[in-house]
Order: sequence, then C-alpha cells, then structure tokens
Amino acid sequence: MSNTVEAPGEPPGVEPPIPPILAPLDFALRFVNRAALTVGMIALLAAAFVLTYSVFSRYWFKAATDWQDEAAVFLLVGAVFLCGAYVQSFRGHVGIEAVASILPPAINRARMIFVDVLTLLFCTFFAWKSWTLFHEAWVDKQTTSSSWAPPLSIPYGLMAAGFTLLALQVLLQTLAHLSKPGDRA
Amino acid sequence: MSMLALGLLFGGVTLVVMFSGMSIAFSLGAVAVAFMYFFMPSASLDTVTQNVYEEMASITLLSIPLFILKGAAIGKSPAGRDLYLALHVWMSKVPGGLGIANVFACALFAAMAGSSPATCSAIGSAGIPEMRRRGYSGGFAAGIIAAGGTLGILLPPSITMILYAVAAEQSLGRLFLAGIGPGVLLVVLFAAYAIFRYRKEHRAALAAYTAHGTASAYLDDTRFTLQERFEMLPRVVPFVVLLTGVMVALYGGFATPTETAGLGAVLALVLIAVVYGIWRPRDLSPILASALKESTMLMFIIGMSLLYSYVMSYLHISQSAAAWIVSLQLTKWLLLATILLLVVVLGFFLPPVSIILMTVPILLPPIKAAGFDLVWFGVLMTIVMEMGLIHPPVGLNIFVIRNVAPDIPLRDVIFGVLPFVALMALAIVLICLVPGIATWFPNALMGAPVR
Repeated sequence: MSNTVEAPGEPPGVEPPIPPILAPLDFALRFVNRAALTVGMIALLAAAFVLTYSVFSRYWFKAATDWQDEAAVFLLVGAVFLCGAYVQSFRGHVGIEAVASILPPAINRARMIFVDVLTLLFCTFFAWKSWTLFHEAWVDKQTTSSSWAPPLSIPYGLMAAGFTLLALQVLLQTLAHLSKPGDRA
Repeated sequence: MSMLALGLLFGGVTLVVMFSGMSIAFSLGAVAVAFMYFFMPSASLDTVTQNVYEEMASITLLSIPLFILKGAAIGKSPAGRDLYLALHVWMSKVPGGLGIANVFACALFAAMAGSSPATCSAIGSAGIPEMRRRGYSGGFAAGIIAAGGTLGILLPPSITMILYAVAAEQSLGRLFLAGIGPGVLLVVLFAAYAIFRYRKEHRAALAAYTAHGTASAYLDDTRFTLQERFEMLPRVVPFVVLLTGVMVALYGGFATPTETAGLGAVLALVLIAVVYGIWRPRDLSPILASALKESTMLMFIIGMSLLYSYVMSYLHISQSAAAWIVSLQLTKWLLLATILLLVVVLGFFLPPVSIILMTVPILLPPIKAAGFDLVWFGVLMTIVMEMGLIHPPVGLNIFVIRNVAPDIPLRDVIFGVLPFVALMALAIVLICLVPGIATWFPNALMGAPVR
C-alpha cells in the first residue's frame, strides 16, 4: 500500500505560541478537533464492520447489499473531511519543505506568510462553496441515485463543516504566525 | 493564449506553489481553482466542491482508509517482531540467512500491512539491531530493510495500485495479482544480494581474524534446536490466516476489493485482540487515530489531485501534452524509458499518490498508442516509484531507517540502499524483457484481458 510521506514517529510541526487573545479560539478548536477525531475513529470502524457485514449477509443470507457501499462512503468521506482540521493542527498535510532550509530568514518568513495566507484563502473558498452545495441539496431534497437514496445533504454538510473547521484552524495558525513572525524561521 | 503557453503556465505555477512549501493537497487545489477562475466558465467554480466530492466518493478509492486501518492494526502490534523472529530462527542454517529472513519478513509484513514506512519501522526495529549484533555493517542492514519495505507498494493490497486502477480504469484485482510476480522477483534479487554481501563481509571478517586476531560477531555460529524452531511457528499463524482470508475473499468471488478492505481491517483487529490482547478502547484508540491521520492526509491529496487532473483535462493540457509526446515518434522502448525517467525525477519530490493522479492522464495515451499493456505498465511505474522511496534526495524510507537506527550515519544508509536501487532497475529490465513476470499470474487466474 501505502506509501505515504508521513514517517512513523514524525514530530509535529513547530508552531509559534498562541497569543493570549487567540487562546479561546485555540481552546475551542482543540476541543472540536478532538471530538471530530473521536467521531472519525468510530466512523472508520463502523465502515469496516458495515462492509464485513455486507460480505457475510450476501453469502449466508443471500441478502441484497444495496445500502452498505453507500453507507461506507458516507462514513469514510465524513471521517476524512471532519479530521482535516485535526491533521492541519499539527501541520500533518505534507508539503515540499526543501526550499525552506536554503532561504535567508527574511525571505523564508515572507514565504511562510504567503503559504499560510494562500492556504487560508483556498480553505475559506472551499468552505463557502461547500455550504452553498449543502444548502442546495437541503432545499432541493437531493438524494443519491441508488435505490436506497440517502440525502446528499449529509456528506455535503460534513464536507462544509470539515472545511469550515479547517479554515478556522489555518486562520488561527496564520494569526499566531503573524503575531510572532520570527518564531517559525 | 496558445496551448503551449497555457501548459507551461500551469506547470510553472504548480511548481512555484508546491515548492513554496504549501501542503501538496492545498497546492494542487489552489492551482486548480485559480485556473478555473481565469480560464474556465465561471459556473465551473460553483460546482468545484461537488466535483471534489464526486471524485472522492468512489467506493474503490475509499478502500484506502480501510487498508490503512488493517496496516495500522498489524503495524502497531508486536506481530512484525514475531514474524521476524520466527523467520530468523528458521533461516539460521542458511549462509546469510539473517539477511534473507529480514527480506522475507519485510515482504510478508508489507503484504499484510501494505505500507512501506510501517514495514521499515516494524521489521527494522527488530531486524536492524539483530543484524548489527551479528556483525552486519550498518549500511547493509539499513539497505535490506529500506528496500524490503518498498515491497509494500507493490504487493497487494497496494494503495498505489488502487489509485492506478482508478486513474487508468484498469481492473484492481488484475493489478493486485500482477504485482505478485515482480514482488517475488524483487524478493529473490534482494535475498541473492543479501547472500552475496554476507559472504563478502564474512570473508573480510575471517581475513581480519586470521591476520590480526580481530574478533567479529560474524564468526559466531548460532544454532537453534528443532524444538525452538517449532515453538516459533505459531507466531506466523496470524499472518497466514489474515493473508489467506483476504485473498480467498477477494479472488474466491466472495467480496469486492472494498469489501475485502473492510473485512481485512476487521480480521486484523480480531487477530490482534485474540493473539495480543489488544482490544480495549485505550489500546485501539492509537491504532484508529493513526490510521485516520494517514487516511485524511492521503485522501485530501487524492481529492485535490483529481480536481487538478480534471482542470488539466478540461483545458486540454493533458491531451495536448499526450499528443505532443506521441508526435515525438520515439521508438517504443525509448518512449517507455523517457516516461519512467520522468517518474523517477517526480519521485524526488512527490509521493506516489500525486505522481499517479497527476501524470497518468498524460502518460497513458502514448503508452497505449505504443501497444504496451496498461496493467504491465502499472507494475513498472510502481517499481519506479518504489525506487523513489529509497533513493536520495528524499527517499522516505531512508528517513524511517534514521528514526529506527539513528546511530547509523546517513552516508552509510545511502550507500547501503544504492545496490538495492540497482537491483530494482535490473528487475525493471527483466520485466520489460519477460512481461509474463507481471502478466502471467493475472492472466492464468482471471483469463486474458478483454481489449
């Protein structure tokens, strides 16, 4: 499988200290991220059991497996989107850091601000577009095209919530960073 | 704007944003959104999130978090150490058997856990100290584990193969099977090199002892009794059960690849609960959290890579790049060599998931036009990306080894892995000369592919 770029035991990214004025937001995000992680863990486990049940129910009870795949998709997509902010909280979304080590400190600081602001803009835009998508699905009562036909507002809502959390997390990191610009150099 | 200028602008902006240090997922997403804004109808921006959701909500792609969960359950239990110890005891009579045991343990563990870094970490933490205690040089020991770990993305269930199957619209079952022959070839090549290198280091130790009386752990002979050997056997049973269970479910027609992933994860969790007593919420929590962190990071990259590929295709950049490659009229093998070289270079900077999703739309049309089998090409591409895991400058596995054995100098690790990079290149040549190494097994089990 996998090969991911995350090395086991890799330390979390070094973050500047959170200024006192942002402490409530930091506290709230930590709490929500922890809760999202717990929900995500349960969803991951549930998806594994739903798919296992699908195999056995088809084989032993000759039951139709019409809802299991979609339920697993909703659980897994939801878990992934909800945990995006948690992963961002320790800068776990990997990037190419090769340039950072060769730049002079001043330019490196400008680079980091550019990266944070661009990430913030992107996540905010995505959160906004996710909410409009959720709103449409909710108002129009959109469902998937399967015979089970669950409402699409569920995964869209989870995506919107996940990207909103992510945008808030990046906002916190950007503000913390701007208030102590030299610390991450 | 001409297509060439647009293509160059797209590639250039991507490089600048990625090298700025922005995370790979957000870089790809931001570049895609920016190009949508400037070069695509404004309505496309309204559906951007729907686009990402629809690409990600693929049941095949979503088998990835479940395979990661299965890997995490095995990787975070003492199963790796037990597997390694059992193989070590059984291989002790073979010259260089310790090295071979490490290669075999890596291959089996990789097939079970499916992760290169997890394999390096689990087998390396038991194997490297043992090899060094027995006199193996640090570089040699590190090389065996770093290279053995790469088998994780070639042997089923490989996430790289899942992504290739989705991007190239090829059968996942066929791709999984196609990875087995080349995986075995690499195991044989690595094991042969382990014997060769063992003999060389053993001779040097013997010469030093004869000339100066310098003692070496290489010259100590360790033997295990028959009873000791049989006592170790139950330790590999969980692995055999898991491997067999998953394979029977998938190829016996009982489960789809995604259901197999779910079943594999549940089976792995049941096994570690029964064998190692890991079942309490506080024991399972780190396993689930680690699987979720890795899955989230990967799925974000995958979702944004798919959006990036969509924009590239909408703007006809991928089609034009593919047409340009075809128009070069390179000979079949030169084309293949050029493409593989490009993948090697990309492997310096990017993880395999991004390489596949970003390049397959461009690379497959010329490969198809040249008459190459796409499943076979998927295997070759995977081996090339495996090389990227162990060759400098990035070489993820090198850094995992540095975590496991920090006292081995980086220079020794790098020189230790280089012979294995050469062996992988040799394997690529052999698979080109004898394509059946990859295609025979899937064809024999699933019939010839429908074209």
